[in-house]
Amino acid sequence: MVVDRSPRLDHVFHALAHPARRAIIRQLSGGERNLTELAAPLKMTFPAATKHVRVLEGAKLVRRRVVGREHLCRLDAQPLKEAMLWTESFRQSWEARFEELDSLLDEMKADEQARARRR
Amino acid sequence: MKKPLQVSTPTDTTIVLTRAFDAPRRLVWEATFTPELMRRWMLPPPGFTMTTCRCVLRAGGELEVAWKSDEADPAMTLRGVFTEVIPHERAVHTETMALGSGQVVGSLVEQHEFFEEGGVTTMRITQTYDSKEARDGALASGMDEGMEACYQQLDGVLG
Repeated sequence: MVVDRSPRLDHVFHALAHPARRAIIRQLSGGERNLTELAAPLKMTFPAATKHVRVLEGAKLVRRRVVGREHLCRLDAQPLKEAMLWTESFRQSWEARFEELDSLLDEMKADEQARARRR
Repeated sequence: MKKPLQVSTPTDTTIVLTRAFDAPRRLVWEATFTPELMRRWMLPPPGFTMTTCRCVLRAGGELEVAWKSDEADPAMTLRGVFTEVIPHERAVHTETMALGSGQVVGSLVEQHEFFEEGGVTTMRITQTYDSKEARDGALASGMDEGMEACYQQLDGVLG
């Protein structure tokens, strides 16, 4: 299951690795937009913006539907959730250890101070 | 002074963990590599109990940790050798994780670095795996457990 998931996550991470694509995701978090609307704030040509949208589509982060002559894009956050979750559980298991280390260090500091006072 | 743990993947085969501790470097070093103290913070996977913890902190010194479960003893082992030890600054060791059966599940090189500033110590752990697949596998470990809890948390974040 974990192994099957990995190639898809590669797509997601690759898709997120470009600032223009992250900007597109931010825009789409506000709702459905057409390609012209997406291209405008990026100061990019229409074909260049389309290329980035296609990478996002490949990672299944963006879905596109055609209405008349308009290409409407919307965000699908599910793969994003999985990608965050993937590293988040690793992070949490280490954080749990480091929180134990925090309390251990507090005890060690208190012990040292107590010893110093006795001297 | 709560600084969250940072996890990054600067290359295809590495994971870097960075975390600050409110203690001098000397104590963080001691807590990280003293067997009786390692037992306190090296939390085992759910259902596992640590049975062995040895750590000979010098170049060539061995690291050995073993865990048991209800089904097997040992259920999992970690074995490695220190290749570099600069007290309170830097330690590098190899690490091979194996199942109780002896089947190797992964090996890596782990480097610990310690930086102290104003009584706060930042520990940076760099794990270097044999391959991208091994690295990805390590990152994904534990993904199943607590998955539901994480989803609920993320639902809140992502709306």
